[in-house]
Amino acid sequence: MDLPSIVQSIQASGPAEWMRTSVKAMPIVEAIHVLCAATVFGTILIVDLRLLGFPNTRRSFTRISHEMLRVTWAAFSLAVITGALMFAANAETYYGNTAFRFKMLALLIAGVNMALFQLITYRTVGEWDSGVRTPLAGRVAGAASLTIWVTVICLARWIGFTKGYNFDVPTDVNFSF
Amino acid sequence: MKEFADWLQASSVSVTIQSVKWIIPLLQSIHILMIGIVFVSSLMIALRVLGRMRVDEPFEAVWRRFAPWMWTGLLVMAVTGAILVVGEPIREFTTISFWLKMMLVAIGVTSTALFGRSIRQVAAASPPAAAVPAARVEFSPGAKTGAVVLVVIWLAIIFLGRAIAYDDEVWGKLSHHS
Repeated sequence: MDLPSIVQSIQASGPAEWMRTSVKAMPIVEAIHVLCAATVFGTILIVDLRLLGFPNTRRSFTRISHEMLRVTWAAFSLAVITGALMFAANAETYYGNTAFRFKMLALLIAGVNMALFQLITYRTVGEWDSGVRTPLAGRVAGAASLTIWVTVICLARWIGFTKGYNFDVPTDVNFSF
Repeated sequence: MKEFADWLQASSVSVTIQSVKWIIPLLQSIHILMIGIVFVSSLMIALRVLGRMRVDEPFEAVWRRFAPWMWTGLLVMAVTGAILVVGEPIREFTTISFWLKMMLVAIGVTSTALFGRSIRQVAAASPPAAAVPAARVEFSPGAKTGAVVLVVIWLAIIFLGRAIAYDDEVWGKLSHHS
């Protein structure tokens, strides 16, 4: 089975159908997705800034990253589930969307950056856990992570403006205040 | 209100925001990044009150760490939000979600400021006895409830923000569009 036909069958699946036909599914799923994405960004920001030595290096890095990453992973899991539902509903549109493709690439790069940090730099954490400057590789990983996640969120927002939906304001609105 | 929205939407500033294609997505992206900063900052403050986060630090230290980020984030959100409203006044003013959100923002900001002030007073008023370090002081059930309520208010605000685009779907017959 090739990729385009997999995408087609995702769009034809039950959850996809439910997302398209249920009146309230889309706004609720999207709101959860935004909330979770924002939480992922906010918690990772705290860890990245700590790697860069902001506000200081007094609190232990392992402590901060353990505290934050449990929140990050919970939010990320929920973001993946809600994101998958949004993708399924209009799989073919997303699949062909450039901003979406770049977003997936950016997420992949974020994962690679994190894995490299974990496998290489983090092994020596005992030497720089608190009170000393993070080694250059760690600071680079922090700055990279920050940049990548800002990019992910911007690309995500761009999808909504490039996937061909009609966002025009209805002109025949009849309302009274 | 309809006349005002029409006038604003036809103004040259609004027309510029509408016609330069990258302005609205860029502002919305900044707005969402700030949600991350504001929500997580208030979550950290709330979790500290609940004794679930940063219990090695006194409340005052946690407040000093996150409150400036929260207020700055809120300020940036107010600015980006205001420009978005000027860009799309009819889209915003015609939805129930927008007005509810504005109301909750006013309530959320005021109560966060008052809550922060009163918790800091409580934390400062109970000087650590030799046996109880400042970081170990338990907050009252009332304070903990307040912390949870504040998080729920921010959650509702975030939900309503997204719901602006779906007024009919979320509010059904109540929506002006229906």
